[in-house]
Amino acid sequence: MNPFHFDSLVWHWPIAIYLFLAGISAGAICFAVLLKHFKLGQNAYKSSFVQAACLLAPLAVFSGLGILVLDLTKPFDFWKILVFYNPTSIMSVGVAVLMIYQVALFSWLACLFKEPISNWCDHRWPLIDRILSLLDKHEPTITGLLVMLALSLGAYTGFLLSALTTFPMLNNPVLPMLFLVSGISSGAAGTLLGGLLLKGNPDSKEVHFIHHIEIPIILFELVLLFTFFIGLIISGGQSQAAALTALGEGFWGWIFWAGIIVIGLTLPLAFNLFMTASSKRKLSYVAITASCSLLGVLLLRNFILYTGQMTVA
Amino acid sequence: MENKRRLFLKCACATAVGAVGSTKLIAAQSDTKTDTTEAEVNYALIHDETKCIGCEVCVDACRETNNVPEGVSRLEIVKTGPFGEYPDQYFSFSRKSCQQCDGTPCVNVCPTGAAYKDPKTGIVSVDSWKCVGCMYCIAACPYQVRFINPVTKAADKCDFCKETRLKEGKSPACVAACPTKALVFGNLKDPDSEIVKVLKTTPNYRRKTELGTRPKLFRIATKSGEIKL
Ligand code: SF4
Ligand code: SF4
Ligand code: SF4
Repeated sequence: MNPFHFDSLVWHWPIAIYLFLAGISAGAICFAVLLKHFKLGQNAYKSSFVQAACLLAPLAVFSGLGILVLDLTKPFDFWKILVFYNPTSIMSVGVAVLMIYQVALFSWLACLFKEPISNWCDHRWPLIDRILSLLDKHEPTITGLLVMLALSLGAYTGFLLSALTTFPMLNNPVLPMLFLVSGISSGAAGTLLGGLLLKGNPDSKEVHFIHHIEIPIILFELVLLFTFFIGLIISGGQSQAAALTALGEGFWGWIFWAGIIVIGLTLPLAFNLFMTASSKRKLSYVAITASCSLLGVLLLRNFILYTGQMTVA
Repeated sequence: MENKRRLFLKCACATAVGAVGSTKLIAAQSDTKTDTTEAEVNYALIHDETKCIGCEVCVDACRETNNVPEGVSRLEIVKTGPFGEYPDQYFSFSRKSCQQCDGTPCVNVCPTGAAYKDPKTGIVSVDSWKCVGCMYCIAACPYQVRFINPVTKAADKCDFCKETRLKEGKSPACVAACPTKALVFGNLKDPDSEIVKVLKTTPNYRRKTELGTRPKLFRIATKSGEIKL
């Protein structure tokens, strides 16, 4: 079977990229919130890593939506998705979540950067001052909403596929959790890489904090992957056939074992443990670790999307 | 600390309210769905595989009546065999087309409502103007019978000739064209219709019912010619 062309294939790689970008956005903004609340406080906006997360979150979500629209057979009709809603459709609910998420995202960003914004405006536009103070008053609510929406967005990337009863491998209750968790880890990796590009210090407390959270996340991801496939195999029938086709020999088998398990999960875990033990972080270490996890998550999205559509119920 | 705890509680409450709200919505949605089965008419089709000779006249009739472009099709006849020894060889034929599910996986996933079930006739159909071509329904249909129409760029499939022959008060093109009368079309709600009589007296089967699709394409099995475990 050709790994990229087979009869039952409906959704191609642009969907995998879209799911990847939505996950990164959700993950990155979660880390920005965590860094602000637990480490940096009011001065958070000065940190390169927070700035990277705040750039990454909106950019990823915009380009993801752009890819989704271009992938429609009628891209110019995309507004119909925004006008007509269907509450039983995960895609429809997801688009609604994405819209509200962006509002919450920009409100929170305004709160975060309120000092530089108001300095720059220098009270020239009273309207902006008024908006800023209003947002500032409700910051706790905005933050809470944003985190909830980001988590929903991360889970939605999985629910979108798990709603398909056609494909036993995708129609799997563990999938939303798996995509949520791997999305958060890609957000962490994106934040680290971006922070380094913005000249952040690789031995800063932000990096320590993120790495600290990353270790349990990677372990949890491994457990979820294990549950995902063992669950399929012991269900028997087409579920079992789907899991065995996906994990077996051939192109996608290599992607899974070498790309996802070794490069995407084991290497970052080993590097993280090593860096925690040696407690000194070098730029190259941090950058390589983050690139590995980012690549791993991108491969995971493609692997699940393609192999998931290979076996029909 | 106080503040954080309050924030957390707020979030938790909001999540709970959200979750309850959405399940209510979905429940309400499925209520309206059962309502449609109260309608007067619910069309269904039988393919009698014992009568089918695989001539594919139905396939051509469908293409002509519904203007289906080359390269895609609403209806295919899948041939398996030959079984048995020469000269007693035979094939078996199975119909591949929309099963007109009562449980409509395609309608459930469509983000715009372009894929819909007509409440008056129970026919699952596509509003090609509303369709944006996201292909979610194509992936969601377990029978893999939906396709993108290369002319309209919208999802398309068999609609029991709702827009063509049924509007003229005639039976679907494939049903009328079949030389062996292997296709029976009719209203499940009418106890005197031929389809209800046949279904009540003849053993029949449907495909993939375990997925909750409740398909309305019934099949009368021919001798199978092989033993499959
Ligand atoms: S067979 Fe496919 S297209 Fe037809 S109603 Fe069922 S799910 Fe929809
Ligand atoms: S392709 Fe069209 S009919 Fe199918 S789910 Fe998307 S919008 Fe609905
Ligand atoms: S009922 Fe009409 S649309 Fe459906 S297969 Fe027959 S001819 Fe084609």
